[in-house]
Amino acid sequence: MTFPGLLKKMRDEQKINAGQAGLLLDLYERRIIPVHRELRFFLYFGVLLIVAGAGLTIRQYFIHLGDIAIIASLTLCCAAAFVYCFWKGSPFSRREVTSPSIAFDYVLFFGCALFSMDIAYVEMQFHILGDGWKNYLLISFALFIFLAYRFDNRLVLSLALSTLAAWFGFSLASRRFFSFSEYYRVYAIIYALIVMGMGILTNRVAVKKHFFDIYFNFAVHFLCIALIAGVAEYKILSLYFPALLITCVGLAFYSARVRKFIYMLYAVIYGYLGVSIVAVDWIHRETFLIFAYFIVTSLLVIGFIFKMSRQFREDQ
Amino acid sequence: MNFCLYSSLQEEYIDIRRQVRTWLRSGLISEDQMQAFFGETDPGLYQTNLFFRVLFFVFTLLCACAVTGLFVWLMEKAGNKILAMVVLFFGIFYFILSEHLVKMRRLYRYGIEEALLMAGMVCFVVSFLLWINNYHLNHKTISIAVCLLFSVISGLIYLRFGYLYAAVISLAAVCIIPYQLSLPPVAERVILFCVLCSIFIFSLIADKRENENFRKERYTKMQTCLLVAIYLTVNLQIPGLAWLFIVEKGNIHDLSKIYPQYLYWISYVLTFLIPAAGILWGIKSRKRLVLNAGLVVACATLATNKSYLGMTRYAWDPAILGIVLVVLSIMVHRWLDSGPEQKKQGFTAVNLLKPEDRGISLGDAAAAMTAGAIADQQPGVKQDSFFEDGKSGGGGASRHF
Repeated sequence: MTFPGLLKKMRDEQKINAGQAGLLLDLYERRIIPVHRELRFFLYFGVLLIVAGAGLTIRQYFIHLGDIAIIASLTLCCAAAFVYCFWKGSPFSRREVTSPSIAFDYVLFFGCALFSMDIAYVEMQFHILGDGWKNYLLISFALFIFLAYRFDNRLVLSLALSTLAAWFGFSLASRRFFSFSEYYRVYAIIYALIVMGMGILTNRVAVKKHFFDIYFNFAVHFLCIALIAGVAEYKILSLYFPALLITCVGLAFYSARVRKFIYMLYAVIYGYLGVSIVAVDWIHRETFLIFAYFIVTSLLVIGFIFKMSRQFREDQ
Repeated sequence: MNFCLYSSLQEEYIDIRRQVRTWLRSGLISEDQMQAFFGETDPGLYQTNLFFRVLFFVFTLLCACAVTGLFVWLMEKAGNKILAMVVLFFGIFYFILSEHLVKMRRLYRYGIEEALLMAGMVCFVVSFLLWINNYHLNHKTISIAVCLLFSVISGLIYLRFGYLYAAVISLAAVCIIPYQLSLPPVAERVILFCVLCSIFIFSLIADKRENENFRKERYTKMQTCLLVAIYLTVNLQIPGLAWLFIVEKGNIHDLSKIYPQYLYWISYVLTFLIPAAGILWGIKSRKRLVLNAGLVVACATLATNKSYLGMTRYAWDPAILGIVLVVLSIMVHRWLDSGPEQKKQGFTAVNLLKPEDRGISLGDAAAAMTAGAIADQQPGVKQDSFFEDGKSGGGGASRHF
């Protein structure tokens, strides 16, 4: 049966009304094409390009432009963005709030990015905070968290959490993420626990519960990568291995409970990686056993996922 | 004769179900109405969600590689011909197994059969390489043969199983062939352009008005890929643009000297015509993906315009492009909103169809990257010695942590 035929049948059986049938047929036959996502994408991409352009300009021409011009223009732009958001923004609500306009979220994000740039530049040039110079990241983090909750902005929340990560010493410039030393490994675990704690707390007090996934994603990746780095160094002879196993089992249970299977993906991949590092180290130089290990374990994982996929078929 | 393992009706029902899920998510229908749709459109196939599919794919591929690797290791000393036979046997076995899973177990995009097909394809090519190794052919001939083999096998996989990425692999393999012929750069580009245009025209002929919806969607996706491939072939400055992100230098080679003047300027004109044609065709034929691809390559044209004209690049160029994009997006949004029922020519800026919430989106990830990128862009930041000497890149400054 074709879709128009199916719609007619369902309309005759009064399972859908005429208005719905018309709209669904228009969407199916592409007589109506929503371009909301495309417009949002180009707005976001545009904002990212503006931020990148501003950053490159400052980096390349800061001597010619002068401190006052740079700081004044950045401050003016981010202040304008924040004023616009407070002026146009909806009142605070503990629940999800719809943006007043398509550009609103990106204006706030733009303001926050420029604020970051501004405060980093001021600190770099004038060393206001002295030895505690890194704390400007904490100031940014606090402001971004406040703004993310005030205006219900996921992008700014992500920016806030990555700013906190930068305060802990993690940034894009660090290219040796998987092999980081004990020092950074511990910081990654502390960071993950703090972020997880914040997520659980805000979820418990029912403030912007829809933000929980962002907290959870940040925490899971930092925690699992740190634990895997620990397992890679100490193998089975440390707390990293049982901690990784407990984390992955917990993640799998959580995934099954809330029916969000992205966490199952994380649990299986990180768990398998950790176990394989230990197992391959154990069966060192025994090529046959290494092949056998991968054949048997991958079949076991396929069997496990197959069982899970059948169990949750109604969600698929 | 239908070469595909799935019937048109099954694919049509799966397409309807996919759209019905989107409508439920967007609040256009109720749960009961979705169940009513599902009751009428049972494709008789098993599907799984994206994450399980990825897991099935990864672990089946791992298993297939381990099994083949084990046998190759056991028969290492048997010689190339025997090894080629063993690997070929596994290639055939994986293809038969994936057919069996689809026919008997009725799997549809489950990850397992897809990984088996990919493993089978690689086994075929490896077996061919092992076999051909005895004939001491030159590198060029082997490269061309491998590309052709990849192209043919993945093309057959596409026809049999309908995986679009198999068609893309096939296309990519075809695109590599002209670069293996040791031709002048002009000839390489012209041949590639002609091949891609021929496939594009063929896809246009096959894309008939009376086709089922799922087939139209599939052709649209292929045409989008082809449009982008044609654009990348035509735009001579794209490699320079990509290089710019790595070394922050302008024109690495003066391309106007490598290519003849007439070809250089024809390519310049085409970099404007292709996006324009893509956008217009996307709007006219109501192909959203083609429209999006047209807009993206239009951005690429604006980004490479200065390189074409030999003009100096400035640090603020991305910001200007960004401002243009923001202004255009807002203008288009307002224009669409001003129409009757917030619609103009069937296009609407209203958020009618909501995407699936997967916890974290690419946008969130990009926002998270921004903090690090901003810190790294500060003047005087030394990036390479971040962890080694205890300095913090997160702060962006180069003082001690």
